[in-house]
Amino acid sequence: MSHTDHILVVDDDRDIRQMVGDYLRKNGLRVSLAADGREMKAALDTSDVDLVVLDVMMPGEDGLTLCRNLRAGKHRAVPVVLLTARDDETDRIIGLEMGADDYVTKPFSSRELLARINAVIRRTRMLPPNLQVSEAARLIAFGQWRLDTSSRHLLDEDGTAYPLSGAEFRLLRVFVDHPQRVLSRDQLLNLTQGRDAELFDRSIDLLVSRLRQRLGDAAKEQAYIKTVRSEGYVFCQPVVLVGDPA
Amino acid sequence: MSTLAAPRRQWHWQWLPRTLGMRLLLILAAGLLLAHALSFALLFYERAMATRGMMLAGMEQDVPLSVALLERLSPAERAEWLPQLQRRTYRYLLRPAQAGTPLASDRARQVTALIDRSLGHRYALRPRAVSARPERYEVELTLGDGQPLTLEVTPSLLPIARWLPWVLAAQVALLLACVWLAVRLATRPLVQLADAAERLDPAGASVAMPQDGPLEVAQAARALNQLQARVSAHVSERMQILAAISHDLQTPITRLRLRIEAMDEGDVQARLLADVGQLGQLVREGIQYARSANVTLGPAVRLDLPAFLGSLVDDYQDMGKPVQLGAVAPVALQTHPQVLRRIVQNLIDNALAYAGNAEASVRVDSAGMVCIDVLDNGPGIPEASLDAVLQPFHRLESSRGRDTGGTGLGLAIAQQLTQALGGRLRLANRDGGGLRATVELHAANAVRPLAG
Repeated sequence: MSHTDHILVVDDDRDIRQMVGDYLRKNGLRVSLAADGREMKAALDTSDVDLVVLDVMMPGEDGLTLCRNLRAGKHRAVPVVLLTARDDETDRIIGLEMGADDYVTKPFSSRELLARINAVIRRTRMLPPNLQVSEAARLIAFGQWRLDTSSRHLLDEDGTAYPLSGAEFRLLRVFVDHPQRVLSRDQLLNLTQGRDAELFDRSIDLLVSRLRQRLGDAAKEQAYIKTVRSEGYVFCQPVVLVGDPA
Repeated sequence: MSTLAAPRRQWHWQWLPRTLGMRLLLILAAGLLLAHALSFALLFYERAMATRGMMLAGMEQDVPLSVALLERLSPAERAEWLPQLQRRTYRYLLRPAQAGTPLASDRARQVTALIDRSLGHRYALRPRAVSARPERYEVELTLGDGQPLTLEVTPSLLPIARWLPWVLAAQVALLLACVWLAVRLATRPLVQLADAAERLDPAGASVAMPQDGPLEVAQAARALNQLQARVSAHVSERMQILAAISHDLQTPITRLRLRIEAMDEGDVQARLLADVGQLGQLVREGIQYARSANVTLGPAVRLDLPAFLGSLVDDYQDMGKPVQLGAVAPVALQTHPQVLRRIVQNLIDNALAYAGNAEASVRVDSAGMVCIDVLDNGPGIPEASLDAVLQPFHRLESSRGRDTGGTGLGLAIAQQLTQALGGRLRLANRDGGGLRATVELHAANAVRPLAG
């Protein structure tokens, strides 16, 4: 690939900014640095940025606000990886609701950050979501289920929550982002790869059968996920974005 | 704990009921009933005395009149007059007295003496007791013309009105009801106070006690509320300090980590990374612990527990960790999935750190509590330390915690969060070795999902 991905690192701490920048450059990426929201906007306006690494805890406009503004502005398509200070479910949820694509918890390792950056870029480039808006939608309805994208569980018609494992959620998310479209095993594998710490040793076939079980989708009927011989899988239910849970 | 001998009770009033309310009720009711009974006995005695006085006074005037009248009448006319001379407690008969026995009671002798006196000692009286119960005696005298006249006396109290026993019963019932009310009034605030003290959460999440009611109770409630406010202020200050320190440490630790990673790879770098990793975990868990005391729960959802545990175990298995899913009862629970997830994760992490394996299961116990068990096959925890390990920063002396990187906060966080969910965290050693950590949650809002 002749294209070198351009990463914009936004962090108010000069040392962290520079060290992250050095590491990413060493690994073949083009890097710009910004100390605050103003510098970030300037960098976005003057050059093509492929991904923003954004620190949440910053004086003045914090990362979450910047992320939300970014999603509302003309650079809304640029993926964002947040650097959060707190490893907490609610922070993660808020971050993802603000439109971030992924997050890394401080103190993070540069290797982990690089893996996240690569995964997000791969995901957005390889298979742009059909439903761009689904990033912002909290609830996605299909068949008799609703998927809560921030709490990562399925809701049945009575509102009972059925949590999904990380891998199942990622797989289902790829499916509902690309309904009625045949996805190959390789594509699915790439798109559902988790955090680098995860030894993802399950084959896609096994994961699909697990997901079918969670959905109550009998292997014979295949009401949700159909197997396409020698090609892969297709999600065959129409998908509706619902917004906030009632 | 259960091996501690209960203190031997010193007092002998074992038969007294245990609750203050029942005791008060018993004492007051007994006293009031006794007093009531006594006053009624007095009333009846006085009534008996009065009736007798009336009877005697009546007799004193009536008997000489009747006898004089009968003396005047011809023997043939006497029988006609007898019914008119009859009184409630005595009547006249024109026949000799029955054989009977000599008078037994003082009262009868008194009455006889009175009759004798009223007749001016002009007749020879032959009193005979005819029946002892009901008391009846006859006093015979001979009229001037030789006809025998017998005065039959049946002393009796005025009959009691039919409604009187009912009124009495109603009175007693009213009395008991008042006593019960009074006791309730006195003890209920005490019970509420005890309840509130029990629920008192040093983290300050508990509700303040209502400061109304009787003056003494309001005072106690106020004192308790103030105590709670002081304790919770103290606790939250400590938590804030912990959170602030932990939070401010994150940026330098991040810098440290990035610097070490930029070093040449080697043995020293690996060790430094391990150290900084431990430091980072400590800070992370410090923040978590500080926040767990005052966790914001958000809206609750009905959570399918088999799916919940299944997804959690799958996540561990996907990371290559030896975590198994045990028996899962088909239970759903109204709860906060994020918080519950953190609790179970911490328990599993603890099992993995100390035993290297974990098994998670869910059941409903005999008391109807929903129990999530995390089991391991590790060395367990000495019985004496079972409570202590739930304290923050506590670590077993012999622990391999250092190697495993435990911070000693995982269980304390799980404990705090379980309390926030209104549940309880219990640790117990398993019979075959290993530890059983159980999250007990109230099943009040547990629902069985449809089968299938």
